[in-house]
Amino acid sequence: MTTTPPRTGRRFRGQRGQRGRLRPVAAAATAVLTAASLLAACSGPPKEKAGGVTDVRLSVSTPEAAGEIDSFTWAVYAEPPTLDYTVAFDYPQNTVLSNVCESLMRWTPGLTTEPGLAQKASNPDPTTWVYDLRPGVRFHDGKEMTADDVVFSLGRQRDPDNAAAWAQVFQNVASITKTGPLQVTVKLGKPDSQFPQYMATAAGVVVSKAAVEAAGKDYGTTGGLGCTGPFQLGTWNKGQSIELQRFDGYWGTKAKSKKAVFRVLTDPSARTNAMLSGEADGGYLIPTESYARLKSSGTGTLYFGEGLSTVNVNVTNMRGPLGDIRVRRALSLALDRSGFVKAGLGGAGTVTNSLTTRAAWAAAPERTLKTAFDSLPPTGQDIEKARALVKEAGADGKTLTVATSSIGQDVSLLATAVQAAGTRIGLDIQLKTIAPNAFTALFTDPQAREGIDMFPLTYYDSITDPLDLLQNFRTGAYMNFAGYSDPGYDKLVDEASAVYPVEQRMDIEAKLQHHASEQLLWIPVAEWPTALFMNKRITGAPTTISYMYYPWAADVGAAQ
Amino acid sequence: MSFVRFAVRRVAEMAATLLTASFVVFGAMYLAPGNPASFLLAGRSASPEALASINAQYHLDDPFLVRYFRWLGDVLQGDFGRSITYRTDVSRLLADRLPTTLLLIVMSLVVVVAVGLLLGRIAAVRGGATDSAVLVTTTFAVGTPSFVAAVLLQGLFAVNLGWFPSSGAGDGGLGDMLWHLTLPSVALALYLIGMLARVTRSAMLEALDSDHVTVARSRGVPERQVVRRHVFRNSLGTVLTTGGLIVSTLLVCTILVETAFSIGGIGQLLELSTTTKDFPTVQAISLIIVALFMAVNLVVDLLLPLVDPRVTLGTRSAAV
Repeated sequence: MTTTPPRTGRRFRGQRGQRGRLRPVAAAATAVLTAASLLAACSGPPKEKAGGVTDVRLSVSTPEAAGEIDSFTWAVYAEPPTLDYTVAFDYPQNTVLSNVCESLMRWTPGLTTEPGLAQKASNPDPTTWVYDLRPGVRFHDGKEMTADDVVFSLGRQRDPDNAAAWAQVFQNVASITKTGPLQVTVKLGKPDSQFPQYMATAAGVVVSKAAVEAAGKDYGTTGGLGCTGPFQLGTWNKGQSIELQRFDGYWGTKAKSKKAVFRVLTDPSARTNAMLSGEADGGYLIPTESYARLKSSGTGTLYFGEGLSTVNVNVTNMRGPLGDIRVRRALSLALDRSGFVKAGLGGAGTVTNSLTTRAAWAAAPERTLKTAFDSLPPTGQDIEKARALVKEAGADGKTLTVATSSIGQDVSLLATAVQAAGTRIGLDIQLKTIAPNAFTALFTDPQAREGIDMFPLTYYDSITDPLDLLQNFRTGAYMNFAGYSDPGYDKLVDEASAVYPVEQRMDIEAKLQHHASEQLLWIPVAEWPTALFMNKRITGAPTTISYMYYPWAADVGAAQ
Repeated sequence: MSFVRFAVRRVAEMAATLLTASFVVFGAMYLAPGNPASFLLAGRSASPEALASINAQYHLDDPFLVRYFRWLGDVLQGDFGRSITYRTDVSRLLADRLPTTLLLIVMSLVVVVAVGLLLGRIAAVRGGATDSAVLVTTTFAVGTPSFVAAVLLQGLFAVNLGWFPSSGAGDGGLGDMLWHLTLPSVALALYLIGMLARVTRSAMLEALDSDHVTVARSRGVPERQVVRRHVFRNSLGTVLTTGGLIVSTLLVCTILVETAFSIGGIGQLLELSTTTKDFPTVQAISLIIVALFMAVNLVVDLLLPLVDPRVTLGTRSAAV
């Protein structure tokens, strides 16, 4: 999945409207036009000078908390529209929700999977998963968790009327039934190696049936969430902040802080300022241009951790010059990846020739890693060779369009880097600037992709499995914008999906990785670690992207 | 013109304008790329059944006019619909956020009127060095976009001096809110202070040159009274007619200032809802903005005859 903290601010040029008496239609039009021209009076934000860092080392963890605290405040870049777990599929909502709602399985800070609300997950045959629930778990409303709640919770994900963001995880599920007071059995139509892993994400959240039914159509926006986590939802000051309160009836290790307050800070510099001034004690997803400021501020520590995220150039149009693999290879050869990492990722990142992060392959044996990562296309520049490839393909002087937007430097500076690379090898690369709010439409609307050959795309895995990304090149896959189709590839994806033993599966995935990288279906650019800042008051949060589904706030406590 | 005729005409005009605006905004949203259903699914592929179900729930597949008139019918019955993104009633969404934005706008308005009028007045009456000083400061004020002002104010008063919070609208009582909204309201007001000061100054200078002021002075009326009764009052009409422009600027710029200070009011909500093509929310906010804009114009038209005897109800002075 793909998102970067959005940025706002646009520039409009307009004539000041003359005011006088107006007819209604004209008045309405004028109101809109005046609005546009008035924006000149409050036009967009100034460019902040990029402040990068050098010597970036990933930290496995942060120092453990020394004791309890009353409260800590965390900066998030957007407000979750709702905290309904079925549509929780983006950084802000998952960062909050992971501390309130728990899933059958649990993703750990080390990005492995362990039992969660289910104390055991067994797989008696390839199409059956049996979840034995932890006894004595209480929801925030005091009721005890039973198999009925699990059936109900997963049922909401599968209900088409509910439009769950996680529905696809359940595509191979035939039935979910209660097979004991504390046992739920999932029957699959065909073996699915991804499903059990997804039970550690928000797809596997268990809520109280009674609480959801009582909340009715307002579930997720007002009142409690009916979950089991170490925190429960407190005051939600709409547009401002969300307060979580420690849940004292929690079945696991109690949270170290009595309260966790999430402050919505949409503007990147406002977010940084809040962390510098102590209004916020910390945050994930630090704006890249603020790395240096926070690192040298002396108010706290900036950590980097494994993010399972790669920055790529997504090829969206194979009907133009990019349909020729030689042109794609030429662009990849001409791209100044290390220059982009310095400028676009604030120095925190590593150039890569792989679409998947190394950490996604954590479970793979050494020989598989070799297959997956050896002899991939090079990351270094070779302008001569690239120029020759363009000539050979007859693409000299051909025009390509790359979309760009001011939503983040990972997007805008990558687009510029692609343009620079193309210019050096005889391609004419046009930038098409898209308003931040229309940029999202590139993912969802084929119309929005008309006339665009490629766009920068940051993609993160929701589970520790490279297939999460590699299945995107399957025929008809949602993110397969270029319409790539190769029966051999599809067959391998299906095979990998059906194999449970992880080493065997990753062998197949290594082949997929090779194929996708050879073909340069997206052009891989860099691995992007997560960034985490905590001031001197607090410590304990995990550094990895596990915070999306792991109750990380429970680990945050006093530094001293 | 009789007051009744005036009122009827204005109400009819307002209704027509709101209707037109709602149609224009709806049409623009309809034509913009992106389908709210896919935003709802947060970039995940969806089963055809799920998409069909959302489209049916929100009537996204219906022809444009059918959708528009269904929405209109609901609104006329006081139902603004459900937000597609926020999965809650639009009325509740607005009720949660409108107070913050209104407070911000009122605070800015107070600052603009108080400071703008004062600066314009002393510049016109005192002239000389004071006048030059006001002209220079207002040049800066007019030249500073509110976003830049926001960043500067944040840097100086919030980060360096720590006098004010750098963002947010507070979550305590009114006092806490006022404290949080001080910097944003100043950032929002800055440009308009400059504008209003200049308008006031030139209107007063014009009035100072007029014959009746000369007459009043020759009759020995004290200068203070001359300024207050004749000059200031005469120029108020001009100042008042800029009121509409001031409020519409505030309404538009609040979007950017709210974003800069992460205030989370209506302005920010509008921006986010436009992003996700959340029809019901965008429609409701647009209507509120247009309605406020028109209400201000109406107030200006009602007040004008009171401050400027040359103007009768329903006709604007040609001074603008």
